[in-house]
Amino acid sequence: MPIKAMTQEWMDAYKAAIQADPDYRNIAKDWEGSVALVVNPDPSKNVPEPIYLFMDYWHGDVGEFVVCDKAKAESARFVMTGDYARWKQVAFKELDATKALLQGKLKMKGDLPYVVRNIKTVNKVIDILGKVDTLWPDDHK
Amino acid sequence: MTDNSIIENRAEEVPFSYVLSELLETNVKQNPHKMKTFKSLYGVVAIDLKDIEAAVTLVFSGGKARIEQGIVGKPDIVIRTDSDKVIGLNSISIKFGLPWYFDEAGVTVLKQILSGEIKVQGMLVHPVILTKLTKIMSVM
Repeated sequence: MPIKAMTQEWMDAYKAAIQADPDYRNIAKDWEGSVALVVNPDPSKNVPEPIYLFMDYWHGDVGEFVVCDKAKAESARFVMTGDYARWKQVAFKELDATKALLQGKLKMKGDLPYVVRNIKTVNKVIDILGKVDTLWPDDHK
Repeated sequence: MTDNSIIENRAEEVPFSYVLSELLETNVKQNPHKMKTFKSLYGVVAIDLKDIEAAVTLVFSGGKARIEQGIVGKPDIVIRTDSDKVIGLNSISIKFGLPWYFDEAGVTVLKQILSGEIKVQGMLVHPVILTKLTKIMSVM
């Protein structure tokens, strides 16, 4: 049964999916640091308020995965911001995250060379994101 | 451009320029050997990303660089590729002070150059500029 996107239940499912992935631990063995995703509001898509998601990754392990407030999101080592529709496109692989960054459709705060150095980890967690059975806010109109 | 910034971004209408500017500035400031290379680099390099219709020109002048919108003047080197492949150029390792094309990332880039997925105009005429550019852009 699909889980409502960007809820704590969904974050738990996402974390579990990452933990269950047979390749993730090895691919992400060099990654250390938390990542926050900021979803800009889009009332027309049933996202009336900004949503802040905080995820902690550490050398192939995953820690805290929570829906949070703005302050906690901004405390993450890397903060990625984008419109709801963009994030959904990324999850569906309709939009490549790298391309979105270069086009300004997503914005990132943090050590960019580090992210580029570990781009396989980024691509892997996006790949897993697409596998979480998700009910998106604009799916149930 | 802040007081201690080494990159002046004049291509503010091109989102790619912000990524390029931040990547280059952070990378160079984090690595003294890259800073040394950056300070010795004089030349003009254009990057043209066809798929996202974004092009910028980097003008290097010994420790400073500025980014212009579009392809400006007659660059020494013009790199034409797609946005997903340009990031691969940053993954080339540096060994013995030179770009290393014999690991996975290097072989991938070589194949893309040979297949025409990445076109590097001026690489044979300006190998020193290309080598220095690769060194300062490499995040490895």
